[in-house]
Amino acid sequence: MFNFPSEVFRVSYGDLCYMKHNLVQTLVSTLVGPLLYLLAFGYGMKAGDTEYIAYVIPGIVAISSMNSGFSSSSQKIVIQRLFHSSFDELVLCPMHTSSVIFGKCMLGIIRGLAGGIIILGLGMILTPDLFVDYRFILALLMSSVMFSLLGVSAGLLANSTPTLSLFNSIIILPMSFMCGTLFDVSSLPEIVSYIVWALPLSHTTSVLRDAASGSAVDPVSVIMIIVYAAIFYAICYIVIRKKLY
Amino acid sequence: MDNIISAQGLAKSFGSLKAVDDLTLYVRKGEIYGFLGPNGAGKTTTIRMLTTMDPPDSGSVAIDGFDTRKDFIEARRRIGVIQQHHSLDKDLTVKENIYHHALMQNIPFKECKSRVEEIIPLMELQERMNTKAEKLSGGWKKRVAIVCSLIHRPEILFMDEPTTGLDTQSRNALWKLIRSINRTGTTVFLTTHYIFEAESLCDRVGIINKGKLIVEGTPQELRSRIGDYALVVTDPAGEESVSYHSDLPAARKAAQEAPGDCVISIRPSNLEDVFLELTGRKIRCSTSRPRCSGSPTAICVI
Ligand SMILES: Nc1ncnc2c1ncn2[C@@H]1O[C@H](COP(=O)(O)OP(=O)(O)O)[C@@H](O)[C@H]1O
Ligand SMILES: [Mg+2]
Repeated sequence: MFNFPSEVFRVSYGDLCYMKHNLVQTLVSTLVGPLLYLLAFGYGMKAGDTEYIAYVIPGIVAISSMNSGFSSSSQKIVIQRLFHSSFDELVLCPMHTSSVIFGKCMLGIIRGLAGGIIILGLGMILTPDLFVDYRFILALLMSSVMFSLLGVSAGLLANSTPTLSLFNSIIILPMSFMCGTLFDVSSLPEIVSYIVWALPLSHTTSVLRDAASGSAVDPVSVIMIIVYAAIFYAICYIVIRKKLY
Repeated sequence: MDNIISAQGLAKSFGSLKAVDDLTLYVRKGEIYGFLGPNGAGKTTTIRMLTTMDPPDSGSVAIDGFDTRKDFIEARRRIGVIQQHHSLDKDLTVKENIYHHALMQNIPFKECKSRVEEIIPLMELQERMNTKAEKLSGGWKKRVAIVCSLIHRPEILFMDEPTTGLDTQSRNALWKLIRSINRTGTTVFLTTHYIFEAESLCDRVGIINKGKLIVEGTPQELRSRIGDYALVVTDPAGEESVSYHSDLPAARKAAQEAPGDCVISIRPSNLEDVFLELTGRKIRCSTSRPRCSGSPTAICVI
């Protein structure tokens, strides 16, 4: 058996150095979006409604972990593949494919975790109805890993930066609004609710919300997140091993 | 003789273009193998298949006995690659790039520092360790790429057109370095489109044209195939015709028969002659009698 954590660290070393160089920019770009959501939906729309704030904050955390996980992994890979040809170096190293995949996820996972915890921390100041325990951290971790894997597969498959932006606007952006993050989707037409239920963000939102409010986590959602993560991982694996990128 | 690289029946197409076509080659342990061919011949495509970067459409590659498909990790441990286009991470400093390579090659954490400190003076990189890779000039990037490719002490070093775009001085320095790396036992596989480079640096040369390996051997063997001496006859209109002869007397004898109004020169044949002769590209060389009539006006032996 090979040393998986060591290999993951070795692969992600470059990205970690990159994050160190751009710590302020990374932090600001991770937090601006979620803070605007918090301002617009938490204060602008329903000022003083602490119940709604407690409802919406886990949703914002879910959006934030999706955006951070997805965008850091996908953008970095597209740039390395198409413009720097430094992705070849990664392919050339004597590492297991699983280490390469999770190594490239690290940046997204770290950003997703950090952003999520900061937003929830702010939320806990605003309303007494939220709390953090290991279940919340676990849910946040699962969400960040799953969306980072999605980011890695998108980064491997996109043939240009516009393709990646397109993916962002037709998949990531609609999910942000439609997956029960900011409002309850049960008021939408029935057919829409089926589609929404099939999307991964619905399940990370549900798990994060249950964990943050202290209620029981829906096991179906946990399974769905794992299934999605497995599918995204499989895509990355096949694309790398068959050199389809 | 040990073959450290053996490639059999490699083929790769891009759409309808056969970039590499049924290519079989063997590289022996410890030699400098030159892969010579014009632009677009398929050199980069071949090197990418040999180094596990791209899978061949058909055929197989073994590096030191390890199949690059099945045992790609073992194969990759044994190779260092310097690509034609620089593949450093431009956002990172020189030092970070080198450490990243050392880490990705699974060098134990404790050893990384000493390895880096051992290798950087060789390339005089000490002063530039904290410079961002994107700020370096081409020559310095090449040096960093060399350090990165050697940090894990590979058994085979692949270099794709290492001296293209370098000035004479840097090129000579790089040749010296390649020879010294080779003397320590590292096999070198390099591609080039410079005839002179293949002739003077390489132990054996394979010539590739339009995706096919057309001939292989030591530079001397290749020249002997067509004849060690080239007789060049230039007629008054400036039209050249070349014939090849196995020795100087034979070339001189043929020169006597050349027409009088032609300029005649005899020189050792080179790999360019071999390439032209075998591919028929550029000029068609005649091995029979030159075309013009009369007796020779000048003979010069270079
Ligand atoms: N990724 C690619 N897609 C399409 N055609 C390619 C690709 N890579 C190389 N080719 C084509 O394959 C042929 C061989 O290219 P290459 O191996 O780069 O030649 P060389 O390195 O000898 O100059 C060229 O005609 C080139 O245009
Ligand atoms: Mg090339």
